[in-house]
Amino acid sequence: MKKNLLVKIMGLLVIASFVLTACGTPAATEAPAMTEAPAATEAPAIEESSADVTLRWRTRPDNQEEIDVYSNISTELDAQLDGITLTYEPGGSESANYQDQLRAEIAAGTAPDVFWIPGTDVADFATRGLILNINDLAANTEGFNVGDFYEGPMYHLTFNPETSTTGADSGALWGLPRDVSTFALYLNLDLIAEAGAPDPRELAANGEWDWEAFLEVSQATRALGSDIYGYGASAWWGPYGVWLNASGGGFFNEDRTACALNTEESLEGLDFQRSLYQDYDVATPYGEDPEPVFRAGKVAMFQNGRWATPGIRTVDFNWDVVELPAGPSGTPGNWLFWGAYVVNANTEHPEEAWALVQALTTAETQGKVAALGANIPSRVSQEALDAFLTFTPPANNQAFLNGIAPEAAPSAEGPLWAGSWPEFDKIMGPAIQGVLTGSTTVEDFGATICDEADKAFNQ
Amino acid sequence: MTAQSRIDAQTNLILRIQIVWRGLVALLSAISIGLIWLRMMEMPLWQKILLSIVGGLVVVISSYGAYQILKRSHSGRMVSLVLDYLGFVVCFVFALNVGEFFIGIDALGENFGKGIPYLGITALGYFLGMLEEYFPVKNKNEESSLKSVSKWVMLGGFVLFLWQVNALNGIIYFLGKLTQPSGLIAVTGLVIFGMSLWSLSRPNVAHALNVKTGHEQIINGWLFLSPNLLGFLIFFAGPLLLSFYFSFTDSDAIRTPNWLGFDNYSKILNIKFSRLDSPDQLARDVVDIKVYDEVGRFTLGNTGILFAAADKFFWLALRNTLTFVLFAVPLSVIPALLLSNILNSKLPGMKFYRAVYFMPSIAAVVGISLVWQWLYNATIGYINYFITLGIEFWNNLFNVAVVDPKIQWVSDENTALFAIIIIAAWQTMGFNTVLFLAGLQNIPGELYEAATVDGAGAWDKFWGITLPMLAPTTFYVVSTTTIQAMQVFEQVFILMNPPEGPNNSTITLVLYLYRSGFQNFQQGYASAIAWVLFIVIFGLTLIQFQRQRRSSIYES
Repeated sequence: MKKNLLVKIMGLLVIASFVLTACGTPAATEAPAMTEAPAATEAPAIEESSADVTLRWRTRPDNQEEIDVYSNISTELDAQLDGITLTYEPGGSESANYQDQLRAEIAAGTAPDVFWIPGTDVADFATRGLILNINDLAANTEGFNVGDFYEGPMYHLTFNPETSTTGADSGALWGLPRDVSTFALYLNLDLIAEAGAPDPRELAANGEWDWEAFLEVSQATRALGSDIYGYGASAWWGPYGVWLNASGGGFFNEDRTACALNTEESLEGLDFQRSLYQDYDVATPYGEDPEPVFRAGKVAMFQNGRWATPGIRTVDFNWDVVELPAGPSGTPGNWLFWGAYVVNANTEHPEEAWALVQALTTAETQGKVAALGANIPSRVSQEALDAFLTFTPPANNQAFLNGIAPEAAPSAEGPLWAGSWPEFDKIMGPAIQGVLTGSTTVEDFGATICDEADKAFNQ
Repeated sequence: MTAQSRIDAQTNLILRIQIVWRGLVALLSAISIGLIWLRMMEMPLWQKILLSIVGGLVVVISSYGAYQILKRSHSGRMVSLVLDYLGFVVCFVFALNVGEFFIGIDALGENFGKGIPYLGITALGYFLGMLEEYFPVKNKNEESSLKSVSKWVMLGGFVLFLWQVNALNGIIYFLGKLTQPSGLIAVTGLVIFGMSLWSLSRPNVAHALNVKTGHEQIINGWLFLSPNLLGFLIFFAGPLLLSFYFSFTDSDAIRTPNWLGFDNYSKILNIKFSRLDSPDQLARDVVDIKVYDEVGRFTLGNTGILFAAADKFFWLALRNTLTFVLFAVPLSVIPALLLSNILNSKLPGMKFYRAVYFMPSIAAVVGISLVWQWLYNATIGYINYFITLGIEFWNNLFNVAVVDPKIQWVSDENTALFAIIIIAAWQTMGFNTVLFLAGLQNIPGELYEAATVDGAGAWDKFWGITLPMLAPTTFYVVSTTTIQAMQVFEQVFILMNPPEGPNNSTITLVLYLYRSGFQNFQQGYASAIAWVLFIVIFGLTLIQFQRQRRSSIYES
């Protein structure tokens, strides 16, 4: 009987909580209205009643703040674009890789009308017919100019695999870049000052910021203690690629049709990076995530892209950024990272999707995203760059702009039109990790890597 | 005409209609097959073959059903019921799909939160009805006012709930879709198959076809089994066969696949052993480097053997997977056996410890892997922190200078796989412990009592009674743990960056399969890897079965 009464009391408490919920303020889940997919039971009804076209679009945001910004952009564009109703879907999570999920949805025919993909995936998607060639739509659009965007991304976005030509007249346009980004070194100024090392920002301003100076600062800060490191970088192709680029080498030959990892210049760059890990022992172990270590105040120089800025803003030490040091080639060998909004080849509304892609890449929209601090607008516009400089901290935002400036000769991230980038990366990544962790010599790497990596071409 | 003769006439009419219906079904199926192969319908080869097989079966079975009904045999009814039931299910699913019911379920999920408070009102109504217990009515035949109020509150709450989650709009939309041509086809199919089922289930028809009670029981049995059976065939056996077909193609899951024959399998199994003139001779000097890559080399003095393969990643993945099994299985079985013996004692607090050890098994792998990633961090991870503390304590205590190894758990190719083995063993051990505990509790206590009388010690009892009596449990635990270990994926995928690890030291078969199929658009090749993995697992399990049969005390 007592048990029965207890069950009833608990039941009444549950009801009370339900009622209070119903009478209280709207639930937090209701707040970002546009992140909720409208009920499918409602959506078609809207389509039929008002003749609006419903478009789904997707990006890969890194955090809730980005989701909120994109949701608000979607709401505003929804109001601006006549006859188009937008549904924004943030993609990717810890357990669902953005690209893997997208590929599965494309195969199942349920992918969104417009979605973002990284620059390295464009060739794979385009040659398999998964994304729409929007060249004809763009040609009929008044005021549209390929030259409004950075040249590096547009080289690949206008590449026509049938004619191997690129540019505004190539007959191909696979999408428009959402943003661009590049690497800088995030500096723990407290550690550098404590070590008595020269300030890298001053060295860069004086044109003295090269590999030698970088090593000097790294060693000085490493000497502060066994748990303090001079340099840290993540384990993927971006960070190690800059050392190869800076010494005049690179992943591919000039026309990107063969492996160039075994050239003298590439091996020189790789050897310098290896020495940071193995000879001088100034770097956090390769393969371990250096970001938490930097945020814990134990790394003096952390190499990462603009996307790391929002997270770094929460640290409690003095920090800033500086451009990458110049290598033997005279340039820092930086990358111009980018990703693009593309149109699903199976969309039922290509014209509306193209209108959405344009709206998502206007200077105004890009400015809103860039204000978060995670990336740089992809439109070549002094106004956009001036606005970017105001998105502080870091104080030295100019370091990022220097990284993508023509003088720095950044290498544009890009796909392999003559091969398979995922295959190439699959061969290159573990092999380079072997060198940087000391289990393979640079000589052995150079002797065999292109025998394997060249198989990724013409796949 | 008497009532009985009227019933007989009706029954005969139904049976004649059934014969015509079966014939019509067979004819329509035959026409469909013809249309498929006369290029009237564009579809991939595998779909044509699959649909033709299904259509052919329908033609044969439906014709057989018509013939048996003509002979007034119960098997005609059985066959017709099965075909009509399957037709009914297909039309039902088709109708749900046409009405976008499954998308509607997603939408309901999105909106469900809004309706929860109103479900609370329904619950309130239920509890109001329960209060009747405390205020009984005098006239037991009358419904109490509380009961009436309760019903109305529940009904109101539920209607409000439906309104809040937009269910009404959904239902109207669903019905609207069914009025479109494809919807009408689905509904017509539902009605026809439904009527056929209804007519065949009439007692007079059953009697006319000489149906016995045993036949009815068989049909009822299959009917109850059918949801699970259909689920198995559609969602497990079907994809399994499809992946087998894909393994002979160049499928990328998007475009129409091309038949490759055994090309995928031959690439996987294409290996070569070559003699090396010196230990550091390059692979390109001894094998065709355009075809083969070096997997490994065995050196002896000034000579050696080079092991090369057309797909080196498969062989590296196989090596790593087998290494993983070799260590992870004993590490998650032997400690579990010992632990279960401890937890089987009647010491206080044992139930608590049983729960504690079981917890890793029910925790999400992704969460666990992220926690371990943090623990393993070579610079700020707790494992290295405690090792450092221990070494400092040791050095201070004995005035020695032991060097802190600063193990790079996940970034050193010598330790990366071992780091994953530790996680897997830790996670599986608790579940295995529970299985052993169940086995231990089935061992008769008399055996231990007799052994005690004979003067056996604890070790003798464990070795002579516990282990042999636990053999079936041990076999089950070892088999399932081995199969699970062969499929290791999540821990590697989450923990390692990149997942293949330094020098491919953590690439495993399922990881490679996933990368090929879902990241490199090579579904056909990935399917071939999956079938090779199946053969490896099947072989290992078979060996374990044979060993079990030979050594089982129950068998002997």
